[in-house]
Amino acid sequence: MLESVSWVEKNFNETPDAIFIFRDDQLLVSNHAAQTLQADYELSTAYITKLMNSVVRQQHSDTNDCFNCVVLDMAKTAIPFTLPVKNGHPLSFFLVYSELDTAQNVYSLTLKSNDLMQRVDQLAQQRKLVQYVNRAHEEERKRLSQDLHDSIAQGVYSSIMGVRHLETTVSQADPEAFARQTKLIESQLYATLQEIKGMALDIRPSVLDSFGLSAALKALAKRLEENTGIDITVVARDTAELKLSEDVQTVLYRIAQEAMTNAIKHAEANEINLFLVAHEHEISLEVIDDGSGFDVKQHVSFNGHSLGLLNMNERVKSLHGTFQIKSEKGSGTTVTATFPIA
Amino acid sequence: MGDEKLAKNIAYHDLVRMIYQQEDFDFVGVALQDDTSWRKIHWRYAAGNTSQRFRKIILRSGIGIAGLVIRTGEPFAENDLAHHQYAGYMSQPITMIEHLTSAVAIPIFDQNQLVIGVLLAGYRHQQTITAHSGHVLQEYLQRFQ
Repeated sequence: MLESVSWVEKNFNETPDAIFIFRDDQLLVSNHAAQTLQADYELSTAYITKLMNSVVRQQHSDTNDCFNCVVLDMAKTAIPFTLPVKNGHPLSFFLVYSELDTAQNVYSLTLKSNDLMQRVDQLAQQRKLVQYVNRAHEEERKRLSQDLHDSIAQGVYSSIMGVRHLETTVSQADPEAFARQTKLIESQLYATLQEIKGMALDIRPSVLDSFGLSAALKALAKRLEENTGIDITVVARDTAELKLSEDVQTVLYRIAQEAMTNAIKHAEANEINLFLVAHEHEISLEVIDDGSGFDVKQHVSFNGHSLGLLNMNERVKSLHGTFQIKSEKGSGTTVTATFPIA
Repeated sequence: MGDEKLAKNIAYHDLVRMIYQQEDFDFVGVALQDDTSWRKIHWRYAAGNTSQRFRKIILRSGIGIAGLVIRTGEPFAENDLAHHQYAGYMSQPITMIEHLTSAVAIPIFDQNQLVIGVLLAGYRHQQTITAHSGHVLQEYLQRFQ
């Protein structure tokens, strides 16, 4: 028994969160982390008890909307708290209040490091992102397989049927039917060829490798325009001489693709303008649509829809670029990405 | 443009306009396949259209309404376009651009019985397409040819 008490005590002392236990306003016990905090940053216990008391009292008062509600009973009271540091970055914490003994008014205050919690959030976000990327991969494969099956396999199949039919026209010695049939097969094969080329372009634009970013963006815009009827204008300035790394080119291309697909699918845009402009030390890509727009703040945290944007952001950041989305309900969306260039 | 081609042009134009005026469809359009080697399919004639965006579309054979009709030579009718297998801009641009909720489409054949295009008619306000709608289009097309 005595041994286990010493273990508990050891754990209490070594936990990274600073824990204070009070009776009324008197400090009873505090752990190592709390003592260091007090010593290093002149943290006054009177201040945190006062802070906490006012919040707790406010939450337990009749005027509070949530008085007696279940959620409040279940949730521990936590308030954000910043500790000023001389000649340094202020530390931010969450102050968590938990009652230990109501009769004697004994309670503990725990200072949880905000940085740590943010890191946990970031990890969760990362995990969601990985999940999203995987799902997007799978979706892409599904789409490709469907396209292969519906369009190309069907095209080849009807050409085979056409050739079979050709044999009967030969055996019936009907030159007119023969000519008609060859024309039909030719047209089917042409359509299939066109479809294959289109799919190849969708998967990875060969234009990007051979003719550069602006040509690839123009080809992409043309294809989307053909598929949707939306006006897409591409303006590329001073980019001909530019030597961009393959990574940057690919990311810019994918951002343009994602931004335009978003505008078409979700925003019901009528017009999209795309600007690729090289400045002295940076290259910027801007995709502007006149669609329905959305509330950016709502989409910054994760809610399922915004992961595409988050993914773009991550890709840009990994190449030292900046990424920005400006949008308002009813007034379109502007997606901007810039990368430094030598 | 040769006289014959011009005459054909006017004839198609009159056809879609006539169907639009005499029937209660909200949109009537004709897509034709080029006779150049690439055989691209464009929407050429329309009545009841809300914009000129349809002219920009190049159809994909085998995908979407017109694509299916041209590939198979079979008529097509759908009353719930929003939830169709190929719903979405990429595969059904005409229904998206013109906000169609239901549509019927029949193939147009040339004198050699080759599919050269599609005649499509549709509604914007949930009216239903019936087997009769297809027959109506077929009758117009027969009189036209």
